[in-house]
Amino acid sequence: MGDRPFESHEGAPALAARPVVEIRDLTYSYRGRREPALRGVNLEIREGEFVVIMGPSGAGKSTLCAALNGLVPHFFRGRMQGEVRIRGRSTGEGRVGEFAREVGLVFQDFEAQLFSTNVALEVAFGPENFRVDREEILRRTEEALARVRLQGFENRQPATLSGGQKQRLAIASVLAMEPHILCLDEPTTDLDPIGKQEVLQISAELRRRRDMTLIVVEHETEETLEADRIVILRDGEVVCDRPAREVLRDVELLEENRVMPLQVARFFHGLGVRKEELPLTPREGVNQFRERGFRVDERCYEELLRRDEEREKSYGEPLIEVEELAFSYPGGVAALEDVNLTVRRGEFLAVVGQNGSGKTTLVKHFNGLLMPTRGSVRVGGEETREQGVRLLGRRIGYVFQNPDHQIFSDTVFDEVAFGPKLRGLGEGEVKERVTEALAAVGLEGYEEEDPFGLTKGERQRVAVASILAGRPEVVILDEPTTGLDYAEQRSMMELVRRLNESGSTIIVVTHTMWVVAEYAHRAVVMRDGRVALSGSVREVLSHEKELVEASLRPPHIVSMSNELGHPALSVEEMLYITERDGR
Amino acid sequence: MNPYLYLDRDTFVHRLDPRTKMFLLLGAFVLVFIYLNPLYQLAVLAVILFFGYLAKMLVNLKRIWFILVMISVMTVLLWSIFGSGETPLFLFFELESLLYGLAIALRIVGAIIAGMIFLSTTRNEEIATGLVKLGIPYRFAFAVSTALRLVPTIAATGSTIGQAQRSRGLDLESGNIIQRIRKNVPLLIPVFVSTIRSTNVFSMALESKGFGAGKERTYVLELHITRRDVLAMVLFLLVLAAALAIRLAGYGGLEGFTR
Repeated sequence: MGDRPFESHEGAPALAARPVVEIRDLTYSYRGRREPALRGVNLEIREGEFVVIMGPSGAGKSTLCAALNGLVPHFFRGRMQGEVRIRGRSTGEGRVGEFAREVGLVFQDFEAQLFSTNVALEVAFGPENFRVDREEILRRTEEALARVRLQGFENRQPATLSGGQKQRLAIASVLAMEPHILCLDEPTTDLDPIGKQEVLQISAELRRRRDMTLIVVEHETEETLEADRIVILRDGEVVCDRPAREVLRDVELLEENRVMPLQVARFFHGLGVRKEELPLTPREGVNQFRERGFRVDERCYEELLRRDEEREKSYGEPLIEVEELAFSYPGGVAALEDVNLTVRRGEFLAVVGQNGSGKTTLVKHFNGLLMPTRGSVRVGGEETREQGVRLLGRRIGYVFQNPDHQIFSDTVFDEVAFGPKLRGLGEGEVKERVTEALAAVGLEGYEEEDPFGLTKGERQRVAVASILAGRPEVVILDEPTTGLDYAEQRSMMELVRRLNESGSTIIVVTHTMWVVAEYAHRAVVMRDGRVALSGSVREVLSHEKELVEASLRPPHIVSMSNELGHPALSVEEMLYITERDGR
Repeated sequence: MNPYLYLDRDTFVHRLDPRTKMFLLLGAFVLVFIYLNPLYQLAVLAVILFFGYLAKMLVNLKRIWFILVMISVMTVLLWSIFGSGETPLFLFFELESLLYGLAIALRIVGAIIAGMIFLSTTRNEEIATGLVKLGIPYRFAFAVSTALRLVPTIAATGSTIGQAQRSRGLDLESGNIIQRIRKNVPLLIPVFVSTIRSTNVFSMALESKGFGAGKERTYVLELHITRRDVLAMVLFLLVLAAALAIRLAGYGGLEGFTR
């Protein structure tokens, strides 16, 4: 992977005299919004290029994608200035339907864009609309499904596929229209690591075809190593448009623009290595670490282990005890088998695993949303069956993945006050708790705001505050960082860390591995409804082989340090244990 | 959970042309309206259930048995109370109004089950294509099949939202009727908002796949009225005719019931 910087750049330009995408001075404002979503964007993309678009939430990435096939300005209401030309033709001149054949657009939300009752019909839908011959459609369906490796799935219902399969199907359904340009808007955001890899593999294969231009919005930097170019958008403007490896080495630029830098690059940057020489992948990192004669300082490493141990000793009494838990959904599908687990007061536990591995099913037993089929779950020494959701809800707070599945009030205050009011607290007490909860999530002064007008990151915080207002002993967070940009993810997790430090027991369900590495103390890896690995995060992440078997992958810095024989969980830890000359 | 009612089985009912099934469904609606005697209605229901058994779709009835029971109980009760007949049973209940209520309940249940058989054996796309072949504009036919798809999706979202609010202490089971209705606000608003959001993505995806790009479009699904279809329709017409003949001969009515 990745030892051929700029190669395709040197090889490609001769191919296309004219760019396939030309964007000139594009400014776009949605109706009813004061700030334009895009301002003065200029961008050229040549045939066969692989361009990644990055940037914080609200930077205009999705608007840019929508401008490529004419959804902007034809579908959305707003004002557009400037011009977008696709293979020479201005999008202003035709309808979305006409450009849909040139630019295939795949959205992040794969649930909402699939609507057929079987896989083959889903793929056929696009070409059907363009009056392609029936025989030709059947041929294209077969080819598109082969390309995303879904052969043999023709008769399956899309609803029964895994996340990665669904997103691949969405890609196939667009490929069947045989577009020259494929634009994927955050295709991997909602996917677990294996699903991400499946989709990325497909895009890597597609870009090998010279005539396919690939534009991908992505915010996980680790996934952009294969790109030719990276374009960074911020506040609707292009702030950077340079070869990918050059951008990835510019740690400061990325951080400034709220994009997560590559951990390996950040580590060597921290050691003062020059920009041009920064390694990017764990492999490159290990090599350079050795070449430069760096060593791991054993004493510092011992100190890390000692701190781990000390923290482990500080935990209180067992709060949640799971014994021989088995659970089957009605209809007999076994979701959990033989799970044993104890959560003690003050812990920070991460439950990880791919989609469908049973991690959410497991934690739903902790607050009584699900009851064991066999075995027992005790909270505070008493069976959950005896307590029920209402009673358990006072001790165990559960923040659901999507804040929009719970927000309903006109003001932030009412939303956060909902739980305490239901529990019959007096007005003064309710007010006190809301103030306290909003302070904890950093939303003081937002009491009178309309929650639906907030950003996703802020809505997520409102959801957390509404749980904290119940003053639970344990807070469960289901995928708290999904759909947030890097800066928002960081601040969300810092918030969770503060909660933990002030005495709350935290359980996070996630597949974002750097979040696990940097924030959690202990990890439980679920696989096919069973506990595959369990232990301190350092220990669990050092078992790379078993993690891969559970479709997970440690973050880059952990991979690199594993290779060096001393698992470090963050760039900071790695810097701490690295011994260099002159220290 | 599978949001669709459609069961991908290979039975002769599944293989029938959607237009045939629409015809049979309409016929079933007529059939349930013929009799007023609950015994005869029971026979009609048996015919419908037998058809469902042949289509191997009876498992789907598990999903709605509660609704069926509720509707039946309410219907029987209301007609018993508000209808009147000649033979008093007890209080203000009369035999005829009770029987009438039973017949109506069986009529409603029969119609619902017939509809379930149709939806369990016919793909959304087949319904849309069938409607188009019957001369309905494609956009309208597509809207119908989308509406059918939306209902189960909304139900699934609703169930997640219900769990989220219960975790926050919402108790839907207590309180008087007005309190209970008010307690649904925290469920309805998020369901509404989520549905609008995903519908928005859905319509963008449709546009991006060239929905309505030209006046004409291809249909991958090919529909053929075969001998099997004709046979099914003729057989069913015979049953219908026989049922009508029996009714016209004076059987299967209900004497002595007045509203």
